Amino acid sequence: MRQLHSLLLLLCSLLFAATCAASDYHEQLLLRPLHPSLLLASFNFQSNTSWASFEQQNFRYFPRSLGQILQHANTRELHLRFSLGRWDAENWGARPWGGSREGGTGVELWAWVEAETDEDRADGRWLTLTNALSGLFCASLNFIDSTRTIRPVMSFQPAAGHANSTLSNLHLLHGTLPREVVCTENLTPFLKLLPCKGKAGISSLLDGHKLFDASWRSSEECQLQITQTIDMVLDIQRSKRPRDNPIPRPVPNEDLKCDTSKPYHSDDTCYPLDTGAQLDDWNLSQIFGHPLKGACPLADDGVDPVCINVPHAHHVYASGGAQEHKDETGYMRCFELAPEGNFEMVLPKQDIMERAPLEQPLLYAERSFIGYGQERGGVQAILTNPSPSESVDFVYMESLPWFMKLYLHTLKAKINGNDEDVIQEMYYRPALDRKRGTQLEVRILIPANSTVVLTYDFEKAILRYTEYPPDANRGFDIAPAVITIGNVSIRTTSLLLSLPTPDFSMPYNVIILTSTVMALAFGMVFNLLVRRFVGVDEAEKWDIRALRLRLAGLIKGLVRKFKRKAEKTE
Amino acid sequence: MKLQNLLQLPLVLASLLGPMAVTAEHTSNWAVLVSTSRFWFNYRHLANVLSLYRTVKRLGIPDSQIILMLPDDMACNPRNAFPGTVYSNADRAVDLYGDNIEVDYRGYEVTVESFIRLLTDRVGEEMPRSKRLLTDDRSNILVYMTGHGGNEFLKFQDAEEISAFDLADAFEQMWEKKRYHELLFMIDTCQANTMYSKFYSPNIIATGSSEIDQSSYSHHADNDVGVAVIDRYTYYNLDFLETQVLEPSSKKTLGDLFDSYDESKIHSQPGFRWDLFPGGEEAGRNRLLMDFFGNVQNVEVDAGRNESEWKEDLLALGKKIAELRERSEDVHAEKNTTLIEPPLRSHMSRKIRASKVEVDAQWWGKKSIGAWALVGCSLVWGAASYLEKA
Repeated sequence: MRQLHSLLLLLCSLLFAATCAASDYHEQLLLRPLHPSLLLASFNFQSNTSWASFEQQNFRYFPRSLGQILQHANTRELHLRFSLGRWDAENWGARPWGGSREGGTGVELWAWVEAETDEDRADGRWLTLTNALSGLFCASLNFIDSTRTIRPVMSFQPAAGHANSTLSNLHLLHGTLPREVVCTENLTPFLKLLPCKGKAGISSLLDGHKLFDASWRSSEECQLQITQTIDMVLDIQRSKRPRDNPIPRPVPNEDLKCDTSKPYHSDDTCYPLDTGAQLDDWNLSQIFGHPLKGACPLADDGVDPVCINVPHAHHVYASGGAQEHKDETGYMRCFELAPEGNFEMVLPKQDIMERAPLEQPLLYAERSFIGYGQERGGVQAILTNPSPSESVDFVYMESLPWFMKLYLHTLKAKINGNDEDVIQEMYYRPALDRKRGTQLEVRILIPANSTVVLTYDFEKAILRYTEYPPDANRGFDIAPAVITIGNVSIRTTSLLLSLPTPDFSMPYNVIILTSTVMALAFGMVFNLLVRRFVGVDEAEKWDIRALRLRLAGLIKGLVRKFKRKAEKTE
Repeated sequence: MKLQNLLQLPLVLASLLGPMAVTAEHTSNWAVLVSTSRFWFNYRHLANVLSLYRTVKRLGIPDSQIILMLPDDMACNPRNAFPGTVYSNADRAVDLYGDNIEVDYRGYEVTVESFIRLLTDRVGEEMPRSKRLLTDDRSNILVYMTGHGGNEFLKFQDAEEISAFDLADAFEQMWEKKRYHELLFMIDTCQANTMYSKFYSPNIIATGSSEIDQSSYSHHADNDVGVAVIDRYTYYNLDFLETQVLEPSSKKTLGDLFDSYDESKIHSQPGFRWDLFPGGEEAGRNRLLMDFFGNVQNVEVDAGRNESEWKEDLLALGKKIAELRERSEDVHAEKNTTLIEPPLRSHMSRKIRASKVEVDAQWWGKKSIGAWALVGCSLVWGAASYLEKA
């Protein structure tokens, strides 16, 4: 519950184990300082079970709640990702796990559903799956309907191991919810899927951190695997603030560290030193709020649960009982935890400038809206290949909502500012209003050291009054583009599309105005029908005298009646 | 002699109260906690509902029997200076969001339609069990709502409203479908008492925070959070529940809770409705708070059961299971044999998929055919007009 940071990412997935191993489980936490004040923490939990015990609903490490949903929906492979924030590739390098365990902002879900070539049945199972997962993960996954579902052709491949016979019956479905928030209620069910439930082992550090993603894969042969991963980038300074007082207060004068090299430095002028450039000292319990509560007793002994990616020259102190293993690369050390007691790790302040090298990403990608006005707009994606020698072949995939109508003929790719044919292959499915969204997959080859700018135009649809969400003026989130380079994937940020939004009080104005006009018209017609119009001189005079005369007449009449009655009775 | 009489008193009382307790039996407790406001400045409405969530959870209702509806995300809102937390008091002693929370309906899912569908259980078969109100005629339900409202309506997410009539009809449908035993309805909004004025189904006790033409006010603001954190009516309800109802064995009654309301503190006049409850106000006031806020059931023992009967049942059940298993194995074997046949209709119902976009190599060819077609038409036309002239 420490702070939610500028950027947390979440992800996950699976390795294929070729052997028919028995059920096992292991977990690992990898800490990697990215920048002096930022720390990447990657939690990885992996459990296996055999196909036979899965079929018999004999669950040991594999979570029963998820297993039964997968069986019910005939799902062979499932990837569910929740994420929040943005990965800053320029400063932080390549993404953890090569981006293969990462999702687009919000929720991204894709699955291979088995159905005997009947696509309607696959759709039905997809509906079952999204609804069941929405109950399990406390997220609005049931909003992934046909308008948000696509069937990618090139971008995703099954993780491996599906028998050829079933492969032909597998249907890949992909859905995104870029607006979905990720919060504690999503983490709670995530932790409940773990064998140690967040009570021991590295998962005990996760008490309310916000990001997670789970992915699942199975193979027909004998192995079934669930991998749950959480990656988060923590701001060390922010994490160290006390939980009950997280709001930064100004530093008192005497504690300010000034840059004395500035010519104007004096007693009353101070240029603060950039403390971010120094490596911060930190320890596990400061960052996560409490120490690690011992090893998870169910985890395999073979894998060290905590690793940190710093040069061997750095000092890292761990609490007693933990064994340190340094690897040969010179940048990684892992700790084997004592079975009992808390584990604590301390990195003191040190002046060593050497850092573990950051891996360079294969591609930099950014995407933004261009154009202006309420009617039309455009999208521009800038894709840069930083490598001086290698060209990159990738698939760019977009899943757009139906109200953003893409003009395919305006799709252009410019390379270093020149029109050149870089598009190798393209798959496209146009949108149908209120039925399905646009799907676009483009395979592009970028030569070494060049930049491709991909642009296209679109038209904004006008929605019906009831189709707007309660906060329509905020805009509509557009799912990130997915860029796939072999096993590596990159996601751009999501976009916020503002549609022409009506004034929602307008219907009431219309109702009121219409009612007024109708009342006026009715009143006039009614008057004409029931009133008799006469000249002024013909009209009886309605003054006091007339009233008096009338009254007098009335009284006379009554008196006469009374007299007549009296006569009769006589 | 006197002492003996005194000793007998509890026995007499117990025999008097005994039959009453039996009539009040319920076998499960459910809670439907709804906040209907979106946007950050309505933080207090989510805090209200989360405080109630924590209270009923503390008193024993499990997450699976609590339906929590939160229309916005306050805990992880970028404006929240305390990420991952929601507080209902400026002392920030209790984090309502905590580490273990299950939100059943959130964000855009919280609508009038989904709320009424939840109550009446008119949902699609794909709806997961955690999002359904699986009650029966022996379930006691606590329904708590908070948001912005007015005379006989309550706004949902600033976009739509539920009226008092809709709500009354939904409860009537629940009663007809035997979906509750007794229902406690609480509402904290402006002119709240109008919301339950239209109810007409039996076994409902209703209470609200304010009379018609009265506003309900917030209690206090937290300067670091920056907005009001709780409403007055809910605050004093919680105050009572937290200080007087400490454990599930508490014998506090609804009457005790309602007597604790102090109009000078709440700043509005709370209302109660007893006429739908059998026994009226008297019986309602004696109802234990734990009948609605907790999960305590008395054990009912069916007479005339003995052990041998129980064992026979078990044996019969075992036989049935063995039989079913055999049958399923047969079916399985049958399936395997039928599977050998090659699938006949392989690609029957292919939906329109993404198709490959290709540059047409015969572009010029098609153009020339079109041009020739046009030329042909004009020739025919020319010839026809020539013949006509002639």
